[in-house]
Amino acid sequence: MATNHEPDVPANHNENRRTFLKQSSLLTALALVPGPVVSAAEAKLDERVAEAIEQIPLSLKVNGKKLKLKVEPRTTLLDLLRENLNLTGTKKGCDYGQCGACTVHVDGQRVNSCLSFAVMHEGQEITTIEGLADGDKLHPMQEAFVKHDGFQCGYCTPGQIMSAVACVREGHAGSEGEIREYMSGNICRCGAYTNIVAAIQDVKSGGQKV
Amino acid sequence: MNQFQYVRATKPQAAIEAVAKDANARFIAGGTNLVDLMKRGVMTPQKLVDINRLDFRKIERQNNGLRIGALALNSTVADDKQVRERQPLLALALNAGASPQLRNMATVGGNMLQRTRCAYFYDVTMPCNKRQPGTGCGALEGINRMHAIFGFSDKCIAVHPSDMSVALVALDATVQVSGPKGNRSIPFADFHRLPGDTPEKDTNLEPGELITAVDVPDGPFTKHVHYQKVRERASYAFALLSVAAALDIENGTIKAARLAMGGVAHKPWRLTAAEQVLVGKPATEETFRQAATVAMQGAKSFKHNEYKLRLGPNAIVQALKTAAAA
Amino acid sequence: MNRVDGRQKVTGAAKYAAEYELPNLAYGVLVGSTITKGRLTSIDTKTAERAPGVLAVITHLNAPKAPGTKPTGKDPSQPQTVGNALQVFMDDKIRFNDQPIAVVVANTLERARFAARLVKAQYAKEKHQTNLEANKANAFLPTQAKKNPKSPAADYQRGQVDAYKTGALKLESEYVIPTEVHHPMELQAITAHWEAPDRLTLYDKTQGTMATRRDFARQWGLPEENVKVIATYVGGAFGNALHSWPHESAAIIAAKVVNRPVRLMLTREQMFTMVGYRPHTWQKIGMSATPDGKITAITHESIGQTSTYEEFVEATLGQTKMMYQSPNLTTRYRLAALDVGSPIWMRGPGEATGAFALESAMDEMAFLLNIDPMEFRLRNYTDQDPEKNRPWSSKFLKECYQAGAQRVGWNKRQLKPGALRDGEWFIGYGMGVGTFGAHRGSSKASAQLLPNGTVLLQSAVTDIGPGTGTAMTQIAADTLGLAPEKIRFEWGNSDFAQAPTQGGSAIVNTVGPAVQEACMALKDKLRELAATSNSAFTSAKKEDVAFADNYLTLSGNSTARATYADLVRQAGGTAVTVESKPSGEGQKYSMYSFSVHFAEVRVHELTGEVRVSKLVSCADAGTIINEKTAGNQMKGGAVGGIGMALMEHAIIDDRFGRYVTKDLADYHVPVQADSPAIEVFFVNQPDPYVNKLGTKGIGEIATIGVAPAIANAVFNATGKRVRELPITPDKLV
Repeated sequence: MATNHEPDVPANHNENRRTFLKQSSLLTALALVPGPVVSAAEAKLDERVAEAIEQIPLSLKVNGKKLKLKVEPRTTLLDLLRENLNLTGTKKGCDYGQCGACTVHVDGQRVNSCLSFAVMHEGQEITTIEGLADGDKLHPMQEAFVKHDGFQCGYCTPGQIMSAVACVREGHAGSEGEIREYMSGNICRCGAYTNIVAAIQDVKSGGQKV
Repeated sequence: MNQFQYVRATKPQAAIEAVAKDANARFIAGGTNLVDLMKRGVMTPQKLVDINRLDFRKIERQNNGLRIGALALNSTVADDKQVRERQPLLALALNAGASPQLRNMATVGGNMLQRTRCAYFYDVTMPCNKRQPGTGCGALEGINRMHAIFGFSDKCIAVHPSDMSVALVALDATVQVSGPKGNRSIPFADFHRLPGDTPEKDTNLEPGELITAVDVPDGPFTKHVHYQKVRERASYAFALLSVAAALDIENGTIKAARLAMGGVAHKPWRLTAAEQVLVGKPATEETFRQAATVAMQGAKSFKHNEYKLRLGPNAIVQALKTAAAA
Repeated sequence: MNRVDGRQKVTGAAKYAAEYELPNLAYGVLVGSTITKGRLTSIDTKTAERAPGVLAVITHLNAPKAPGTKPTGKDPSQPQTVGNALQVFMDDKIRFNDQPIAVVVANTLERARFAARLVKAQYAKEKHQTNLEANKANAFLPTQAKKNPKSPAADYQRGQVDAYKTGALKLESEYVIPTEVHHPMELQAITAHWEAPDRLTLYDKTQGTMATRRDFARQWGLPEENVKVIATYVGGAFGNALHSWPHESAAIIAAKVVNRPVRLMLTREQMFTMVGYRPHTWQKIGMSATPDGKITAITHESIGQTSTYEEFVEATLGQTKMMYQSPNLTTRYRLAALDVGSPIWMRGPGEATGAFALESAMDEMAFLLNIDPMEFRLRNYTDQDPEKNRPWSSKFLKECYQAGAQRVGWNKRQLKPGALRDGEWFIGYGMGVGTFGAHRGSSKASAQLLPNGTVLLQSAVTDIGPGTGTAMTQIAADTLGLAPEKIRFEWGNSDFAQAPTQGGSAIVNTVGPAVQEACMALKDKLRELAATSNSAFTSAKKEDVAFADNYLTLSGNSTARATYADLVRQAGGTAVTVESKPSGEGQKYSMYSFSVHFAEVRVHELTGEVRVSKLVSCADAGTIINEKTAGNQMKGGAVGGIGMALMEHAIIDDRFGRYVTKDLADYHVPVQADSPAIEVFFVNQPDPYVNKLGTKGIGEIATIGVAPAIANAVFNATGKRVRELPITPDKLV
């Protein structure tokens, strides 16, 4: 769980940040030098100012590894994983919480990583598909998906597996009907649904630790 | 998405002040709706106050009822033993909403504050009085199959999308809020608004007011309850319309009844007149049909949602039948 | 056998188009038009250009023009063509809503997305048309049909024209399917990298690496070998990556301008507007029959929507021409050009659209005749192709009928609708037949033995999910007599041996024989090599040569050994590349895969909700290479059919020409809870003529016929005939 207790101050506390765009464009008005030169100068300044005031520190544990990062508040957890940490196993299928391809575990609970900002997860522990296997040994749910062919194109698969592991852990894999309902937050357009259910039932009845 | 200032609140008062003094500031909890709306440019707050660290997560017994913290997760509430025993209707409604992942993120307070799913609200290039007052209602003459049949105005015909709120309005819940001027309680039925001339306002919350808890009073509705949600696929879809039904039946006679609908109005729609029809009558399909007829009085449809006039009473009957048999 | 790429897919190691890590990567985000038709009068990019991290904002005013760019739409120099695809940023014309008008490139995704919102355009609006119903009167015969009366899109006639009108027992029904969108889970994405001013590498979501390479090599005036297209993993496509789309051009232009690799992924909204869809289609069927259930005439007409700049044609009326023995048959296929993006084939394409009408009409006629719908189909069964008057290369559809009827419990079905119920639920049974050509094209494949005793095969073909890589590995293993673990089949790279685009259920039919022949050629080559260096092999027959761990052996001679390392060293490599082409049998036989789907549905008496409680899909698809992946593909097609029947519906508000269904909450596709237990049955009889493997193809027939099976079951359950998909509760209450 989160352990930080920061004071109630803006994490990115430059109050001028909002007017930043406007101010920097004032440079143009000052300049009588040729346009491209101004643009270039302005762009460089923009970059420096922007980097300084737009990013804030963030500590996370991802797949067991402690990370100290600097991120923009508007960066979602999904984009942080995919674009900044190169953990592309977590997929973007809709970006609006309507498909489940981006499912990860946060402090052990399955969530849609596209619908929260990374900074909201300060101090939390994130597990992605890359962190599920034990080294070369696949997690039982990964094994079961291979065995039952619980996928076709593979794009929704990491989200399905993260969700399936949580489904079993939550105790929502008691019957075929319950599995179908509690796996309905993960869309598979290839339609491998029955095979996914078979994989989950196999793991559930196998009694292995998930 | 625009950049914004991010504040991590640890004390309620500081959070309230931060939002009260800045018209462009918003609280963020689960984020499941706000982040979505920000991605599409529908909402463009300049400051977000993260309230997830505030101590509003508990579910506890209080004053002959349950006090459910505003930050309690939808999944936590739905799985809570006390909720399931004392308010099973609430658990049913919660589990009918969204997906397991979203219920693990969405909070009780945030669920109440969901914005409409009206397509015209969601598309910044289309007219919408709720998003941008004065631009007109795109749905009025547009594609309105999902829209209201009760309580709408010529400014807005959108519906409120929450399932949980339909149960809460039926259960006579009270919303506890804390604001710059102190604390107050709002009866659930008065929490959401009808659109009138100000569809941009979804609720009666004042600027900076923060939901801290929802109180659900104990009642006799522990057995004969049902949440009937009619949707276009078997799960993970917003309702075409929904019905929350709760009955107290003794020897085949209805002693008390609660009835509310979702997906029919700008707010969760309590059906008090229909409840009165039920009380004292035998729990039969005929009674339920009578109640449904009364419930639908005053309903008006638009070009594409005429079916709701037929589906509404049917869903009410189905909800009551299932509740009675539970 | 499990999928060869299973481990990659379950560990997140499989890399899709937007997941390749490249140095100095930039991000592109498209800006779409907010009007539907007209011209851009001005476009203000200044604010966007000044936003942090922005590297370029590219519009029609400053985009570099690729030398091979053709004008969008009809080419005046070639009036007979179907029209050129949209060429992005090449003119100021707006042809559909959300047409890309700019691409913003920045050093992070967040910055590119933000800056894209700062681009402001002014337009001169013109009146647009996006409503099919209102434009039916302007429908026209496709250019290809005008040019060639033998074209499948041309009007077809056998017997008398519209003979059903004079039939004693007749029906006339109209059917509508709405626009349906492919919506693979992977959003359309590309990473474009100019490795040198004249060398381009694309990591792209495409079904055809060769086709994509050809398109962009032509556009940029480059030799094809200078363009490399990599599509190892494709996160579903279902047809929407059968065309080169505006966002691909935009990313390539952007990468050129900023001189950095550019990654561009569409949003879900953009997946509706610019990468194709199954077109909104109106159909009408007239049918007459004798009282004893012989069809005497069918007329099937169709009007599908297309864009104003390309004529999209599909085989909507194909099944009607050959499925049933009707002496009189008329078809008319027309297009209506609307101010929308171009459609593209979507799984089971036009055949699935047409089958909804035909198989619904069959059910309607059976009801009219008071005959069991399966019996009615059997009375009109075709033992040879009535369209081309040729024998079938193989047809085991009757076996499918029997197997399916037995599995679904067809004997429980009542002729009278609404006769079966379980509490508040009406129960009904329905069937729908599907067919699709067993197409085979030409393909190459390469094979080589590596010193460690493994065989490496390569093909440019993609695997968008059906398990192509797995099937090819099995074919190679069978041909070589090697364990599948000893085979490595590599795919999805345009530098590999040429192969056609994945689509039309033709890949195993086409690439399978190439792999088979490459393996045989490799075996020949190894035997020859061994023969020159090892006397024991000199006169050996090739079928006696077998693979052991590190060496070749010879049956009947336990001491003969030729080690792989020696053979490879001796020859300086063992690579063979073969090209496999279809034989002429296609001229003598009509080649089709067949399927029949049986649905059991439950319809709620009060809410009108429909649940498919059981689906049985039976296929005559020739030899099945891998039961596991083929069965999965069949089940997936059935799920797609559930979507088509019950929920998929993209809706445009014609006042604005804009979709009001713009994401996966508005546009429903089936979720896990919508999927019943699905049973699959394969006849698994080899076709003697399509190829030596005996395959016929699965992908399309898995979906074709499912939607009418469900619609027919809904009728059987309720007595309500829904002729406009999808069958949502509002249509049944």
